[in-house]
Amino acid sequence: MRLSVDLAPQRKFGLTLINPVMTASGTFSNGIEYRKVFDTDRLGGIVSKGTTLRPRKGNAQFRTAETAAGMLNSIGFQNIGVRALVEQVAPVWASWRVPVAVNILGDTPGEYAELARTLDGVPGVAALELNISCPNLELGGMEYGVDCDAAAEVTAVCLRATQLPVIVKLTPNVTDIASIARAVESAGADAVCVANTLLGMAIDTHTRRPVLGRGFGGLSGPAVKPVILRQVYQVAGAVAIPIIASGGVMTGQDAVEYLMAGATAVQVGTATFTNPLAPLTVLNGLERWMQDSGEEDVRNLVGAARSIPAATHRLRTAAGS
Amino acid sequence: MKQVTARVLECRSLYRDTFVLWLEAPEIARRARPGQFVMLRCGEGYDPLLPRALSIYRVRDGDGGPELGLLLEVVGRGTDWLSRRVAGDTVALFGPLGHGFTVRSASTNLLLVGGGIGVAPLVWLADEEVARGRSITLLLGARSAAYLYPALLLPPEVELVTATDDGSAGHHGFVTQLLPRFAPWSDQIFACGPAPMFQAMTAPLRAVQYRKSCQVLLEQRMACGTGICYSCAVETRRHGMKLICKDGPRFELRDVYA
Repeated sequence: MRLSVDLAPQRKFGLTLINPVMTASGTFSNGIEYRKVFDTDRLGGIVSKGTTLRPRKGNAQFRTAETAAGMLNSIGFQNIGVRALVEQVAPVWASWRVPVAVNILGDTPGEYAELARTLDGVPGVAALELNISCPNLELGGMEYGVDCDAAAEVTAVCLRATQLPVIVKLTPNVTDIASIARAVESAGADAVCVANTLLGMAIDTHTRRPVLGRGFGGLSGPAVKPVILRQVYQVAGAVAIPIIASGGVMTGQDAVEYLMAGATAVQVGTATFTNPLAPLTVLNGLERWMQDSGEEDVRNLVGAARSIPAATHRLRTAAGS
Repeated sequence: MKQVTARVLECRSLYRDTFVLWLEAPEIARRARPGQFVMLRCGEGYDPLLPRALSIYRVRDGDGGPELGLLLEVVGRGTDWLSRRVAGDTVALFGPLGHGFTVRSASTNLLLVGGGIGVAPLVWLADEEVARGRSITLLLGARSAAYLYPALLLPPEVELVTATDDGSAGHHGFVTQLLPRFAPWSDQIFACGPAPMFQAMTAPLRAVQYRKSCQVLLEQRMACGTGICYSCAVETRRHGMKLICKDGPRFELRDVYA
């Protein structure tokens, strides 16, 4: 059975994963904690916690709230900063077989470029994931992900600053995600990740206040899967570069659905909070599905459900009407 | 940390809204220490989604190895589901997690301070330290007499002093008002309860110039329990940002509360 996929096929050396199951940024810290829990080298890839130029303390409490079949988060990029990451964490990654992509976030295109430059050529860093989609910050984050030109500019400045493959993580909080995907593809992105969290909120009726300290937060978990599945399908109709799906993947079945919608790989995120072994559960489930279906190559699943050419168009019309 | 599906051995009401849940989870019970916690799934589907953090209440010997006891107060959907388990059901959990209490070898007199359901980890600590010959006083506060952990369930060697908000049992007022009387006697303090209780401990301890260790078990909304989600961050005074689940839940009171 062939499980390996390439997330940067246009590159000379590509970005080859031994299987399409990755961890999502912000749901696996920097991968070190779970080294003791399971053999993380079995995963296709790990994405680091969101990293900024300087260390950040993150947002005030409460930072999370459980919702129906999902959760809201407003962590606010508590992280050690890129320099400490390069000095203390990357050397650990360098001894692993599993490739690690660093999720980066800047306040300005210049900061994104500096982050990309700082991580260029660092042993242990296999790729960058540009976070232009975080809903939890005043500056930066989502504002670059909701505008085609800004998304393309951030992508372009990073590509100029590094030799690393660049994945752009898109926000689902837009009218037309396909146009943003097309813009970053034109700017040279190697792959897109669809998508970050959906902006949401929860209210505590007892205190008569929003639950989260910052009011709004990002919704994730099984509740968002139908929305993100639709967006993966739409993006797959708009770009040729690989798509990484991220949105409520809990089981191998979920992964198969995302691949069939057009994703080349999936990220497991919130599921890991409910079950520390979730990434392996997804991988095992995917393998079992392929065995049961007599499918030999995972790449045959990619886009397999895209049998209705007009679906993207029809969906857009429906959303606009 | 072990992820297991454990058989429920027993689940029964102990006192007002509070249940004890005994699980067959020897892999977790064997490694656990007082002050550590586990994360429990509260249902089989996706709703409620996140596991709940519960402090380990007691470990006892059973036929299949050590058994894991959890004390749970029904406060929402998750704990309600847990409270309705019956013997033979299974629940998914992982642990033990975090860093528990550390008792210094030179400490003879231990003062335990509990607020509400915060009594849970203190009971096990009392079990263990009484067995080692240490003197234990437990100051226990609750809303009213009905919400007080039953004295009969504690080792008889433990001195129990209670306080209730409504005066229906023990001292009429907050448990922290008992500190000036007992803190000077103790070699170490161990506390678990709501955040306002910890805050209210600082002034009386300062008043008696308490310079010894006062370890508290902090609580905060958690999604993962293992240091990957960064939900339960706390800013410490001397050690910067920490995660309650991974770096705690045990902290020195003075490192968190001024």
